[in-house]
Amino acid sequence: MFLVLTVIGAISGGILAGVFHVADPLIQANREKELKEAIFVVLPEAKDYKVMEKEIDKEKATIYQGIDANSKPVGIAFIADGGGFQGNIRIMVGLSIDYLKLKGIRILEQNETPGLGNRIKEPAFEDQFKGLEIRPKIEYIKYRKPEKPNQITAITGATISSDAVVKNVNNAVSRVLKVFPQEEVVK
Amino acid sequence: MKLILIFISASLINNFVLTYFLGICPFLGVSNKTENALNMGLATTFVMTLTAAVTWPIYTYLLVKFNIPFLEYVAFIIAIAALVQLVEMYIRKSSPAVYRAMGIYLPLITTNCAVLGLALFMVLRDYNYIESIIFGFGTGAGFTLAMLMMSGIREELEFADVPKVFQGVSITLIIAGMMALAFMGFAGLIRG
Amino acid sequence: MADNNQNLWHEFQKGLWQDIPPFRLVLGTCPALAVTNSVINGIAMGLATLFVLLFANISVSAIRKIVPAQVRIAAYVVIIALYVTVADMFLAAMFPPISKALGPYVPLIIVNCIILGRAEGFAQKNPITPSIMDAIGMGIGFALSLAVMGLIREIFGFGSILDIKLLGAWFEPWIVMILPAGAFFVFGFLVALVNYLSRKKAETVCH
Repeated sequence: MFLVLTVIGAISGGILAGVFHVADPLIQANREKELKEAIFVVLPEAKDYKVMEKEIDKEKATIYQGIDANSKPVGIAFIADGGGFQGNIRIMVGLSIDYLKLKGIRILEQNETPGLGNRIKEPAFEDQFKGLEIRPKIEYIKYRKPEKPNQITAITGATISSDAVVKNVNNAVSRVLKVFPQEEVVK
Repeated sequence: MKLILIFISASLINNFVLTYFLGICPFLGVSNKTENALNMGLATTFVMTLTAAVTWPIYTYLLVKFNIPFLEYVAFIIAIAALVQLVEMYIRKSSPAVYRAMGIYLPLITTNCAVLGLALFMVLRDYNYIESIIFGFGTGAGFTLAMLMMSGIREELEFADVPKVFQGVSITLIIAGMMALAFMGFAGLIRG
Repeated sequence: MADNNQNLWHEFQKGLWQDIPPFRLVLGTCPALAVTNSVINGIAMGLATLFVLLFANISVSAIRKIVPAQVRIAAYVVIIALYVTVADMFLAAMFPPISKALGPYVPLIIVNCIILGRAEGFAQKNPITPSIMDAIGMGIGFALSLAVMGLIREIFGFGSILDIKLLGAWFEPWIVMILPAGAFFVFGFLVALVNYLSRKKAETVCH
């Protein structure tokens, strides 16, 4: 009785291991590609990137250093993760080489309200973050055009989602700034 | 603090039934009487909390340690099926009264999307052990809440004049839609 | 032989209307509601379910004589989980955007009552070929149902299908269609519609 189950289990396990062996490289390649695309969007001059594993506040953090065709660093990119209005928002953030401005953001994952909150993934919203100053921190402003170089305009009717993006980016930036620029840039 | 957030999120804001459509089969099938709904809800919450407690170690100490992530689904579903079987045997032996009340629902819980779903979400969201258990309990509580609300409405509905084509599953779904809309009001309860 | 073919045809077509999941056979409702926010997602989920249904039915039917009764549910569930994992890996490797859109609902095919239901209710009592027809019929019926739900929700929720704008700029999308509430409403009305059409059919037959 259990013999049959064990045989079925063993065969299933074998098939799965085999399929995994074939599929996993493809799955990893897909992930790589997605990551690369996101990094190149937020660091437009980058042609390649280096991965740096750092420890910030006792947690592991992965920072991507974008490099151009001559292997010179053009900025760093990292992921900002945090709650939004309806679930998690995942953002790729690009920081300039002088650590004073954002080079851009790209919303990777979000579950905000369609037509309102999920407009944070539209270019009109994301583009506001290009060249945005990060000190003292990023702010959002409602109904008007930004008045200071560290402000963006929130989406009308989607204040919470816009605020969530701003908060998450600020958090991630302040964490990253704990190890950069004091750290030597990896050659 | 985070634990309370996880609980409120799982039971209200991201209610498994009304936001993620998990647990619909029993939600449609067993929600006609409040007593049944309550029993099913409690039994399911019990199983879900145990499931979190059992599948998390399986994931962390077996699948991840030995680098066999592709066995996740097979391992989880076997764990859930075994768990339900054990719970059923235990209840039948230890408390025939409880078994009479909710024993018949137990086998159904194995195929309840909410149970497997909670194990999958727990992995996706990277909860630690305590967080996972709270999550299991919270999602079960949310499920029970949805069941109770639906059964309350359906009991009232028996006195209403529902058109023939809508009777049964159809009107239940439409009501569920309105409940889902209502529950959307919870979104934004927790900021950030 | 002719009788055999007729039987096969019957097994196939019952999944297309009189026992169509999820509208008549209230099974597989979780994915029906969750991933039908667009046509593509609905079809993809339907095809994935068809794949699992087909191979699970074949496997269960093939081993039906050698699996002892006590462990059959456990055995079926392992088999189903096996094919679902294969389907999930396939999607993640070959169609990453669809894999992302369907997300955790692909592994939830394991507990999709349709598959276990057909395995228990049909494949374990019937030889392989009728089981294949049963699986294909149910699978296609299910995929069609998902496609229809996806179509309705996408047209009214986005005003377009597959990125082709159908309704012009005058149309203000009914956002609710994309939200969970809309899924419930559309499903509810479709069940009512199917009830109505079946009733009509029965009436004409009886006359």
